[in-house]
Amino acid sequence: MSAIPVSPIAVPWHLPSRGRVAMLSLITGESAIFTIFVVAYIYYIGKSLWGPTPQQVLDIPIFNTICLLSSSVTIWLAEREIDRGKMRGFAAWWALTIALGAIFIVGTGIEWHKLIYADGLTIRTNLFGTTFYSLVGLHATHVVVGLIGLSLILLFTLTGHVREEHSERIQVFALYWHFVDAVWVVVFTVVYIVGR
Amino acid sequence: MTETTQHKAGPAHSETIHLPAPTAWPIVLALGCALAAAGLVTSLWVTAFGAVLMVSGCVGWFRQVLPHEAHEDVPVVVQPVTITTTRRVVRRLEIGPEHRAHLPVETYPVTSGIKGGIAGGIAMIFPALAYGLIAQHSIWYPVNLLGGAGVGPSAHITTAEIAAFHWSWLVVAIVIHTVTCLLVGLLYGAMLPMLPTRPVLLGGILAPLLWTGLLHSAMGVINPALDARIQWGWFVVSQVFFGVVAGLVVAREGKIKTSRGLPFFARMGIEAPGLMESNPNAGPPEYSDEEKH
Amino acid sequence: MADQTLPIAGTVDVTPPRRSTAMLLEWLHGWVVTVDHKRLGILYLVYGIFFLLVAGAEAIAIRIQLAWPGMHFLSPELYNEMFTMHGTTMVFLVGMTIIFGFANYLVPLMIGARDMAFPRLNAFSFWMTAFGGLLIYYSFIGGFGLYGMGAAPDVGWWAYAPLTAKAFSPGHATDYWALALIVAGFGTLGTAINVIATTLSMRCRGMTLLRMPLFVWLMLVTSGLTLITITPLTAAQIMLVIDRYLGGHFFDTQAGGSAVVWMHFFWIFGHPEVYVLVMPAFGIASEIIPVFSRKAIFGYPAMVAASVGIAFVSLGVWAHHMFTVGMTSVGNAFFVLSTMLVGIPTGIKIFNWVATIWGGKIRFATPMLFCLGFLFQFLIAGLTGIMLSVAPWNWQLHNSYFVIAHFHYVLVGAIVFNVFAGIYYWYPKVTGRMLSETLGKWHFWLFFIGFHVTFDTMHFVGFLGMPRSIYTYEPDRGWNHLNFIISMGGMIQAIAVLIFAWNLVHSYLKGKKAGNDPWDAWTLEWAVPSPPPVYNFAADPVVHSRRPLWDLKHPEDPDWKYEA
Repeated sequence: MSAIPVSPIAVPWHLPSRGRVAMLSLITGESAIFTIFVVAYIYYIGKSLWGPTPQQVLDIPIFNTICLLSSSVTIWLAEREIDRGKMRGFAAWWALTIALGAIFIVGTGIEWHKLIYADGLTIRTNLFGTTFYSLVGLHATHVVVGLIGLSLILLFTLTGHVREEHSERIQVFALYWHFVDAVWVVVFTVVYIVGR
Repeated sequence: MTETTQHKAGPAHSETIHLPAPTAWPIVLALGCALAAAGLVTSLWVTAFGAVLMVSGCVGWFRQVLPHEAHEDVPVVVQPVTITTTRRVVRRLEIGPEHRAHLPVETYPVTSGIKGGIAGGIAMIFPALAYGLIAQHSIWYPVNLLGGAGVGPSAHITTAEIAAFHWSWLVVAIVIHTVTCLLVGLLYGAMLPMLPTRPVLLGGILAPLLWTGLLHSAMGVINPALDARIQWGWFVVSQVFFGVVAGLVVAREGKIKTSRGLPFFARMGIEAPGLMESNPNAGPPEYSDEEKH
Repeated sequence: MADQTLPIAGTVDVTPPRRSTAMLLEWLHGWVVTVDHKRLGILYLVYGIFFLLVAGAEAIAIRIQLAWPGMHFLSPELYNEMFTMHGTTMVFLVGMTIIFGFANYLVPLMIGARDMAFPRLNAFSFWMTAFGGLLIYYSFIGGFGLYGMGAAPDVGWWAYAPLTAKAFSPGHATDYWALALIVAGFGTLGTAINVIATTLSMRCRGMTLLRMPLFVWLMLVTSGLTLITITPLTAAQIMLVIDRYLGGHFFDTQAGGSAVVWMHFFWIFGHPEVYVLVMPAFGIASEIIPVFSRKAIFGYPAMVAASVGIAFVSLGVWAHHMFTVGMTSVGNAFFVLSTMLVGIPTGIKIFNWVATIWGGKIRFATPMLFCLGFLFQFLIAGLTGIMLSVAPWNWQLHNSYFVIAHFHYVLVGAIVFNVFAGIYYWYPKVTGRMLSETLGKWHFWLFFIGFHVTFDTMHFVGFLGMPRSIYTYEPDRGWNHLNFIISMGGMIQAIAVLIFAWNLVHSYLKGKKAGNDPWDAWTLEWAVPSPPPVYNFAADPVVHSRRPLWDLKHPEDPDWKYEA
């Protein structure tokens, strides 16, 4: 005769955060979408049958790129602040992140305006136009979604709804923003360096 | 559960479980997304309606989870129990480590063969050089015999040329020597479980055989001209030197247990209850003393 | 003790059952707003089985059309719609929903959790998939295509460019295909994320990764594969929509675009998709075969490793669908070899299942019968797969009925058989009633015979040169009798499926009471009542081995003594 053990297990039981796991999974899936668009872009480089070509119309958006990439640093600083419980510092760095992201989007808008009205390049002009607007547009869509999320969080921070204990969720969201920035490195390399 | 019984181990008590509350917002959002897409094939008004649903779905969902996730409480009653078996408990056959032992129980590890190969390879250089000095008055003669195999034309090569120093031949000779030593060492190590005792004696016989066999068969193909000049008697002497040194090195290495006594599953790293010995340290600490069988 | 729960956490659940007094509308409302993983799992399964009947009816229509040369049972236009919708429905609305139905219902129960990691996302994902399916079927009424109103997509489930271009597919039929599948695809992505987060973050105490049931492992691998499989299709369909709506040139050969790029993108999705569908079937077999052989699964770590291996290899084999398109010899050789490589991990799995059965005390209940059928058929499917992976052989038989026979051997012979096995196995858990064994045996044998009559014969018409997707054929090709036999086999399968559907309904109303553990099984879901209460486990379970219920039932000889 023997008894079933009911004694608690001494070893600690750790499970990964579900938010983090889900965000990393989402990023994996999104990466696959971007991969397909990037592969299409690379495959179609130089295959347009008529102009305008990237060499003729594209300028390297250095300032935009610096803004977007530095927003990854500012959001990291914001994460550090909320981790230490400094809500003011968090809000400040978070707002700066939004500003940098907004500059990027505005910069992209100016670039597109120039391409459409000055250079006559639309999504239906040629293969370059199709692939360029799809890839950069896909990325810009992600930036816009990120900005909406960032702004909502800022709003709730200013009204005092986001507090120190939400640090984990903030970090999960920040993962998404880091991903958007990392994708830009790939898009930038492919579109403005390899493809030009 | 036919052969076990449950005993109450305490009073039944009520508890409350939090479960996420049902909500309609996910379906509203999903319908919004679907209609937004459907609008592209029907009418943009449908898309507009879908967008309205999407926005309201997002807002509603947001309010559902923030600031606190909506949940409902479900009361449950739980009854603590212990469970006992009514099966006849039999003692397992004790299987000792020597049970159906597959010999050898211990052998030298494969790596010791490689170490032996390296040591032997260094040691055999000396008799080979001695042969060159004594028989041909040049220490480069044996080196070039080996190294020349891989270099240059050699159909009408003179003895003087072989006795001279060629640095390229030296490099090739070192490479061939190293690779062959390692390979022979590895082969020797792999064969050790078959001959786990007396590594010095067997090394002295077996390793030279392997060496000579490898080179004798290969040299004739690679470079027949040089092959004809090799004096196999001297050759074998240096091989034996190699073998004895390799054997001595192997003997100095510790023995390890072979896993040949274990079943196939265990050696594959697969747990097979019933075929293996049980691991008393695994799992929870259980069984009070008087219940142990 | 049959109707009591097993004391998995040292306690039994003695909550008095709640009598439901809901009116019909309230009951319906409960299902619509539910976030309970079990209810969503049932919704997925019911939805999947409904579309299984629909797509099965489409298959029967196709077979009647092909039963004899020169038939006019369907119009040519409708025939194209039928084979397109049959494929699309079976893959996206039947296969994906049924596997995620199983995952939804079983994964939380098997790992000792109360719900999925994201219950609301779970509901959202299901409804996305559901509305996507309704949208694509709405095209039968509202779609406008080449032949006027009521046009469903008719470009094949692979939708090769440039047939999908605006010039060749006017109207909206093709847009229905792309948009509906984008919507359904996001639902699939949501569920895949949910399953991964659930398995990694919601396990009960003691449920280490290497103690999870193999079904959970395979769903984890499948979901991981889904993340990087369904998304390329979504991306490619977005490109197609850009081409068709915004005048893009991705697949427009007249502007320098490439139709072959679509093929690559489609098959980068399409081939791993087969593994997405078949691996949950492996998971079902890995649960059922041990229970009905009364032995623990043989080679658990090897099974896990093989599953991960299959997922990896499956990502590098897509172009074996494209040997006839023309590739470099290096490309051909690469895809030949990588495809053959799949045989190694799948071979490991087959050997492990056989080794599990070997020496077991086998119970030939209906779930086990279907699993045995699966083992036999999956082996043959794998062998014809190796044949087709050889490029020169493939050049001969590509797009012939041999290929159709091969992949139906996988999709029906392996996946559908295991899905049936899974339904017979877990139906008692879900409904509290046993499915009728008599009807089950009829179902199995008729389906088994019908399957072999149909798909074995299909190999031969393939050898004789009959290409796929043809509307009809000349009577002098020597295919007449074989096609008639194939169609008759289809009828036998249809009868078997109808028996199954009847069994589902009849047993729900009149079936034998199941109790919580009718099969004397070993995984956690059998520790709770049938059907499980909304909270699953009254107390949080703790497990010590891969077979927690074995430990409970055999306190004198528990598994954890033997597992490392």
